Amino acid sequence: MVFNSYIFIVFFAVILALHYLPLHWNVKKVNLLLASYIFYAAWNPPFILLLWMSTVIDYFVGRALYTQPDGYKKKLLLVVSLIGNLGMLCFFKYGGFLLDNFVTIVNVFGWDFHPAKPDIILPAGISFYTFTTLCYTIDMYEKKSEPVKSLLDFSLFVTFFPHLVAGPIVRPPQLVPQFESERKATQQQLLEGLFLVSLGLFMKVVLADSMLSSIANDVFSSGGSLPALDAWMGVLAFSGQIFFDFAGYSTCAIGVAASLGFVLPQNFLYPYGAVGFSDFWRRWHITLSAWLRDYLYIPLGGNRQGKFRTYVNLMVTMLLGGLWHGANWTFVVWGGLHGFYLWVEKAIVDFRKDRVPSIASVPSAEVGVLGAQPEQFKLKTVRNFFIALFTFFLINVTWVFFRATTFTQAWNLLKSMFGLASGSPMLTTLAIIKVSVIVSLMVITHWLMRNTKVLDVAAKLSWWSFGLVWAFMIIVLIWSQESSSSFIYFQF
Amino acid sequence: MRSQSLMKSTILLVVVVASTVLCWELYWRSHGYEISYDDTPSMWADKRKRVYEPSESSTVFIGGSRIKYDIDINTWQQITGQHAIQLGCVGSTPLPVLVNLADDSKFKGRLVIDVTETLFFSPSDAQRPKEGIKYYDEETPAQWASFHVNHLLESQFVFLDKESLSLGAILDHLPLQNRPGVFHFAGFPPEFERMSFERQQNMTNRFSADTAQRNTVIKIWKMFDSDTSFRPTNGKKLDSIFNLVKTSIDKIKARGGDVIFVRPPSTGSYLARENKYYPRALYWDKLLQITGCPGIHYQDYPSISNLNCPEESHLDLAGAKIFTTHLIDLLKEKGWVFSYSK
Repeated sequence: MVFNSYIFIVFFAVILALHYLPLHWNVKKVNLLLASYIFYAAWNPPFILLLWMSTVIDYFVGRALYTQPDGYKKKLLLVVSLIGNLGMLCFFKYGGFLLDNFVTIVNVFGWDFHPAKPDIILPAGISFYTFTTLCYTIDMYEKKSEPVKSLLDFSLFVTFFPHLVAGPIVRPPQLVPQFESERKATQQQLLEGLFLVSLGLFMKVVLADSMLSSIANDVFSSGGSLPALDAWMGVLAFSGQIFFDFAGYSTCAIGVAASLGFVLPQNFLYPYGAVGFSDFWRRWHITLSAWLRDYLYIPLGGNRQGKFRTYVNLMVTMLLGGLWHGANWTFVVWGGLHGFYLWVEKAIVDFRKDRVPSIASVPSAEVGVLGAQPEQFKLKTVRNFFIALFTFFLINVTWVFFRATTFTQAWNLLKSMFGLASGSPMLTTLAIIKVSVIVSLMVITHWLMRNTKVLDVAAKLSWWSFGLVWAFMIIVLIWSQESSSSFIYFQF
Repeated sequence: MRSQSLMKSTILLVVVVASTVLCWELYWRSHGYEISYDDTPSMWADKRKRVYEPSESSTVFIGGSRIKYDIDINTWQQITGQHAIQLGCVGSTPLPVLVNLADDSKFKGRLVIDVTETLFFSPSDAQRPKEGIKYYDEETPAQWASFHVNHLLESQFVFLDKESLSLGAILDHLPLQNRPGVFHFAGFPPEFERMSFERQQNMTNRFSADTAQRNTVIKIWKMFDSDTSFRPTNGKKLDSIFNLVKTSIDKIKARGGDVIFVRPPSTGSYLARENKYYPRALYWDKLLQITGCPGIHYQDYPSISNLNCPEESHLDLAGAKIFTTHLIDLLKEKGWVFSYSK
C-alpha cells in the first residue's frame, strides 16, 4: 500500500479510529501490528512470510546474542544472523546482478556460459527492514542496548507500517521504548501529524509526480544527444523529483506516526542547502548515512587508523552505500562520485587544519558520515550560499548516474550537459518554466530553512495564514489528480 | 504552534477546501460537463477480468479508439442482451491484447477486432495495451481496493477527470510558444473525450456541433500523419504481423471462440490518407484471406457506409447507436447468434 492512494486514506482513518478507542494498550499494539501486516501484504501477500521469518529469527538470535557468554558461540550466532539477513537481501536484490557479472567474467575467460535469466521479484522495502533488523542483532552482539522484552514489541519495531517500506531506518532505542507504555497523540501532535502527511503528499503527488517526473523521464529516456538546456533541465527535474519523492515519503511516515503518538527520526534536513558534501550527508537520507557510519564506517576503522585508512574507509562506505540503492554499477559509480567529493572536501579541510570532530566521538543520532558540521558552515553568509550552490551543481552530476540505467545513457547526458554534444530541442517552454520555478524555489527554501524545521516555521505563522497554506496544499493535491504511483525508493 | 491555534487553522482548512471543491465542481457542471472516468490501466484491467463470461452472455471488443467511440454499449446490451466488454486502447494496436487473450486458455468467447489500419499494422503503438496487460497480471490487493474507492469518487465528481481537468492538463493548454523543433501535444479538446465506466468513449454534443473544436482534432490527425509510424508496414514486418494474428486467432478458435474483424467508418482527408497508405487489397483483404476470419468493412454495407464522422475518424453518439444497431444485424448475417435479441 502506498501513502498516495485512496485506499491508504481509508486504511489510515480506520487505524486512527481503532487507536483512539478505549482499548488495552496490548490490544492496540496488536491492532497496529495487524495493520502493518495488512499494509505490507496489500502489496504482495506471499512476501509477508519473509518479513515474519526475518522478525522471528532476529528476535531469538538477538536475545541469544545478548545473553551468550561464550565468545565463540556469540560470533557464530552473529554470523548466522548476518548470513540470514544479508543472504536474503543478496538473493532477492543482487541475485540477477551477481549472476550477470559472473557470466560476463567467465565469458571473458572463454567459458561460453549463458544461464537462464532468473525471474526474481524484489520484495518491497527489503533493504529497509533488513537494515532495521541487522542493527538490532549487531547492537545485541555489542550489548549497546537491552534485548526487546516481547516478540510483540519486536515485531512492531520491525513492521510498524509508517517506516516499514522506505524508512526512516529506525534503531531499537529510538522506537522500542515507545511501545512499552501507552502512546496517544495530543491534539497538537495529531494535527501536526496530519499537516505533515499533507505536506508529504503535496511534495510527492504535486511536485514530484505531477510537475517533474515526466520531464525527467523524457530526458533520461531520450538516449541520444540533447541541447545543454534540455539536458540540464532533465537532470534538475530529477534532482527535484528524487527529493520531493523520498522526502515526501519520509514526511508522510513521520506525520502518520505522529498522528498515532509516535516519534520517528528526521530523514531529511533541507539537503540542497548543504554547504559541502559532508553537510549534504548530514541532511540527505540521514538515517541511512548514520546507519552506514555506525555499522560500516566505524567498524572498518573510521578515522582512527590514520589518514590513508580514513580515505579508504570513506570510499568503501560510499561505494557500498551506492550499491545498497540498486543492483547496478551505475549506483556504485554514484556512490563513488560522492566518495570522491568527500575525499576532496576532507583533503581541503585537512590542508586548512580545519578539522571536523573525530568521527568515533560523534553521537550516532542525527549526523552523517563525517560527523558534526563545523560552526562556520552553519552561518547563512554569501560565501556559504555560493558553496551551497556549487555543492548542488556537483550533486546534480551524481544524479545522472543514479537515474541513468546504463553508462552509455549517463555519458550521453553528461556530454549534452557540458556542451560536448548537441541535438534537437525536446522540452516544451512549459516544462522549462516548471523546472526553473520549482527547482529555484526548492534551493532557496532549503537555504533559508537549513537551520530550522518545518513545524518550527509553521508555529511562527498566524493561525489563518497557516490554515490557508495548508488548504492550498490540499486543494492543489486534489486538483493534480495523481495517485498511486510508487515511490522511487520502494525499488531500493 | 499552540493546540488552539492549530484547531482554528484546521477548521479554516476544512472550510476553504470544501468550498473550493464545491465551487470547482459546480463550475464544470455549469459548463455542461458530465461524469467521465479516466482511462487508466486499472480500468482496463477491471474489464479484462470479465472476458471469461460465456460467449452467450458477452462479447469482447479490442482495437483502437474507433471501437471505443463507435460501439454504443447501451445499444449493444439492449439489443443483444449481452455484455460488451470494451478492451480497446486509444491510439494503439490491438495486437498485444489479441496475443494476451489467445494465450489465455480460459478465454473462449467472442471477439470483435477493430481494424484501424494505421494502428493495427503499427505494432510500435502498443504502450497502453502493454501497460494494461502488465497491470492486470500484477495488480496488487491495494491497487484493486484503490480502484474501487476511486470509482466511487469519480462517479460523483465531474472535476475528477485527469485527462481534461487536472492541474497538469490545464497547464498543458496554456498558449506558450515553444522553441522551433519541439514537439508538443497538448491533448484533445476536453469535450472530445468523455468516458463511461464501461470504457465507452464519446464526444459531447457541443463538440459535434462546434466546427472549431472539430477542426482542432482534424489538425491533430494531420500532425500524427507526419509521424513516421503512420507510414505503412510492409515486407517481412507485415508478414510477421499477419502470422501473429493468424496464430493468435487459431488458438482462440481452437478453444471454440469466435473472431470477427470490423473496419469502422472514417471520412474526409483522414480516409483519403488511409486509402493512400493502406490500400484495401494489400491490407484488409489480405488479412481476411490469411486468417480465414470473417470481416465487416463499413464500405461494403449501405446501412453504415455513409455515417458521418465529425472529426473524420470517430462517430458521435448518434452515429455510434446507428452503427452498433446495424453491426449487430450484420453479425447475425455472419452467423452470430444472440440468445436474447430485440
